[in-house]
Amino acid sequence: MQQVRDIVVVGGGTAGWMAAAAFAKVLGTQAHSITLIESEEIGTVGVGEATIPPIMQYNALLGIDEDEFVRETNATFKLGIEFIDWRKPGSSYFHPFGLFGANIKGGVGFMNYWLRWVQSGGDPDFSRFIAEGEAAREGKFARVPPSPDGQLPRLNYAYQFDAATYAAYLRRYAERRGAIRREGRVVDVEQNPETGYIEAVKLADGTRVAGDFFIDCSGFRGLLIEGVFKAGFDDWSQWLPNNRAAAVPCERVGDPTPFTRSTAREAGWQWRIPLQHRTGNGYVFCDAYISEDEASRLLLERLDGKPMADPKILRFTAGKRRRGWVKNCLAVGLSSGFLEPLESTSIHLIQVAIMKLFELFPMREVNPVLIDQYNREMDLIYDHVRDFIIAHYKVTDREDTPFWQYCRNMDVPDSLAAKLELFKERGEARMIPGDLFSETSWFAVLYGQGLIPRSFHPVANALSEDELQLALTRIRTAIRQRVDTLPSHAAFIERCCAARPAATAA
Amino acid sequence: MTRRIEQVVIVGADAPAWMAAAAFQRSVSNAGIRVRVIELPTLLQPADAYSALPELAGFHRRVGLEERLLFSLCKAVPIAGQRFSNWSGAAPPFIHGYDRPPPPAAGLGLTQLWIKGRQKGLRTEFENFSLGAVAAKAGRVPVPSEGAELRSTFGYNFDAAAYSALLRHFTMQGGVESKAASVADVEMDGDRITAIILGDGERVEADLFVDASGPQAVLIGRMPETEFLSWRAWLPCDRMLVASAKALAPLPAFSQISAFRQGWIGLFPLQDRTAVVAAYDSRQISDQDLLNDLPALANLPISGDAVVSSLAQGIRRRTWVGNCVAVGESAFSLEPLDAVQLHIAHYCISQLMTLFPVEAGTFPEAALYDRIIRRAAINLRDFQFAHFKLNHRFDMPLWDGCRDAAVPETLQRKLDIFAARGRIALYDDETFQEHAWESLLLGHGLMPQSYDPRVDAIPEQEHIAKIQARLNDIVGLVEAMAPVDDFIAGMDLQRQAEVTALG
Repeated sequence: MQQVRDIVVVGGGTAGWMAAAAFAKVLGTQAHSITLIESEEIGTVGVGEATIPPIMQYNALLGIDEDEFVRETNATFKLGIEFIDWRKPGSSYFHPFGLFGANIKGGVGFMNYWLRWVQSGGDPDFSRFIAEGEAAREGKFARVPPSPDGQLPRLNYAYQFDAATYAAYLRRYAERRGAIRREGRVVDVEQNPETGYIEAVKLADGTRVAGDFFIDCSGFRGLLIEGVFKAGFDDWSQWLPNNRAAAVPCERVGDPTPFTRSTAREAGWQWRIPLQHRTGNGYVFCDAYISEDEASRLLLERLDGKPMADPKILRFTAGKRRRGWVKNCLAVGLSSGFLEPLESTSIHLIQVAIMKLFELFPMREVNPVLIDQYNREMDLIYDHVRDFIIAHYKVTDREDTPFWQYCRNMDVPDSLAAKLELFKERGEARMIPGDLFSETSWFAVLYGQGLIPRSFHPVANALSEDELQLALTRIRTAIRQRVDTLPSHAAFIERCCAARPAATAA
Repeated sequence: MTRRIEQVVIVGADAPAWMAAAAFQRSVSNAGIRVRVIELPTLLQPADAYSALPELAGFHRRVGLEERLLFSLCKAVPIAGQRFSNWSGAAPPFIHGYDRPPPPAAGLGLTQLWIKGRQKGLRTEFENFSLGAVAAKAGRVPVPSEGAELRSTFGYNFDAAAYSALLRHFTMQGGVESKAASVADVEMDGDRITAIILGDGERVEADLFVDASGPQAVLIGRMPETEFLSWRAWLPCDRMLVASAKALAPLPAFSQISAFRQGWIGLFPLQDRTAVVAAYDSRQISDQDLLNDLPALANLPISGDAVVSSLAQGIRRRTWVGNCVAVGESAFSLEPLDAVQLHIAHYCISQLMTLFPVEAGTFPEAALYDRIIRRAAINLRDFQFAHFKLNHRFDMPLWDGCRDAAVPETLQRKLDIFAARGRIALYDDETFQEHAWESLLLGHGLMPQSYDPRVDAIPEQEHIAKIQARLNDIVGLVEAMAPVDDFIAGMDLQRQAEVTALG
């Protein structure tokens, strides 16, 4: 095989256009051609989509102007996720982006001091010690510059946007840089008889699109990665039984919250993602415990605004493509695996696949060593996210419905079991460099779901009672100082990045 | 029923034992935990020196030990890197500098630019893009400045006995009890130590026993399933010779490690002498023959006695059993290369501090500690073996054997990915990060076949300008650094000023 020149992306949607835009920016269209094939027939799913902070890196790679991007995708800002009824009906907790507390000089992690404090009667709402948590509670948001002396906490955020307008925005970006969109549906694939590499795809109208490297963004079915290469699929539904989602947008009823809400339901959970112009909603459920009709009915009943369409049903299986990269084909997006959007990881997994491909991209021949490395690294990331999501179901007091009885009593992967064990013993949620979810995230979710550590690091006892009080007060004061000066989320959007009416109508 | 840990006993000698004691004393002893050291006879020889990585400074800061004491009491010399010569045939010597390179802009580090540059005919060696390596060559001391984009830092060489004495004094001042003794017997209950019996008959109980006794493994070696698993298949030297030569003037800012037919020889500059360490394979050369060759190999006159001892590289099958934790070389040992000797103790102690057990019960921390230590040890072993594996010394049994040795899968993967793309695939718990691995692999002549395609998106002029800018930045930064002798004198002046102020 010669130099990799022509890149073909099969499928549009968020994954396809994220890939095409990144290729157009990084590889350019001088030495490479970038063609994206999509069909208007195969509509994409246009409900609210929530993200996590690393999306900044993708936007930075593209050189996107944040205000423009927020305006054009009807986006709002997101400081974390509020989880309601997950531990038990009536309970709630907040999983914030950002840091828990602050470092205590010469000591161990903040959570140990906090646990000591709580064990002696302190307020068990940990979000009080997280700037993002406090700001979210009060509906506030702003981009804050780092404080010069480092005394005030930062405010970490991501976005909530309309996935359909996001894809359209990236399409404009990619096309401006010379990427070519072809309307059509792939009906056939030509492979090299010796190497098995894909040489071209054929469209329904008879057009042949040749390429050196193919990105499969065809969605769940994995037209190339599975259809051609039989890459295999690891089914994770024993741990993540949800296999359906009913999705519907509704009218906005108030100022958009700077966070996503996830409410546990009888057979799954319901998302609420506030956008500038409307609110995205969905019920993720398992059809063994509730019918599609019943789930749709309950979803409509539980909206806070007037529905703007009929609920759309999506069907999926939790799991991961066994090999995301085979020969000259890389799966990106749903074709590479599916994890429910409980922690807003869908777009992140697309982004990671694209970034890793750049690092390991074949210059000339496709090197099996690099493919193997890619697949290994993606496995680690998927497993980590999988474990984090499973923890939400496993760690709960709920046993009020057959769905929750199953979740609470299921066996979990060994990697997660070991983590839960150590956390229960001493609040240790050690993270490995490169893990997506930080110690703060693990702490927030495990503690919030009701796994209360029996103890904490002995060094946390070294601080005297008055010093501990002083340290905690200082941290609280800095957080309050930060949050008190913030405008409301709605006012911030209004001032710098309100969507134009045209975009709102789109 | 379980209960909180109240009593910790450290058994060991020299720096590792006192490092553990200092770390505990500064943290857990304030939390009501008693720390006691059972001090075994020293294993050090007068000529011994420690070569330490920059991370040791972090340890000193944490326990509150003033850095200038190393220079005034332990004859320390700041070290910006290690220079390797005669390992890889015609490849020139190279320096592994202790750099902290800036996070790559948009995921694209300078190494990728260099690889493409090299393919296009760039002559400048990789080490010239390392601030530490350039400082080392210039005999200057890189002091990391806050906020600077390019950063490098220094480790140290110092006298081993003086450093151990300093730590001992420091720790005792902090209130740690100690007793010089030997361990006559260990009382076990299942896989737990109930007490150790000292040479004088005293019976010492504790909730947690820390074995810092080095290769003797006085405690951990008596625990079940802790046999020593040798790594000699990869690290062939089984003998070590230590001697002294006169001090170098001016003092260099690097340690010099040269390969020779039967092993390698290291020159470690100290203020008042040069520590000479040779590691070699007894199957290839006798102690006496090596001793005869020593002045020629060191290219320096040797003063005083040379002391020979045995070396064994490997790891215990388990590093934490019941209530007994191995820290330092009682857990695993390597060649005295790459300044890892004290690092092994430091690393184990930091992990133990992080996972310091809450209760004297079932120790759920043990499995995680063991997993982390094992991964870290294997990563370090791979780093050291890479020196040997990539050698270009032909028709010499030791070196031919190393080139032909079966490569552990962990290292093979790293080598393959680097050879293909110039990318370092780091595992969990790595001591040496990308820059160190890049220096090592490129230095020993492993040239990547390709680079990150994003480099091609950079126009040629801009590519050249970026490379040139980095070289200029480094030259500018190094010019502003103090030469080693001035740096040490500065430390001394600081001390004198303080003494005067106190007087």
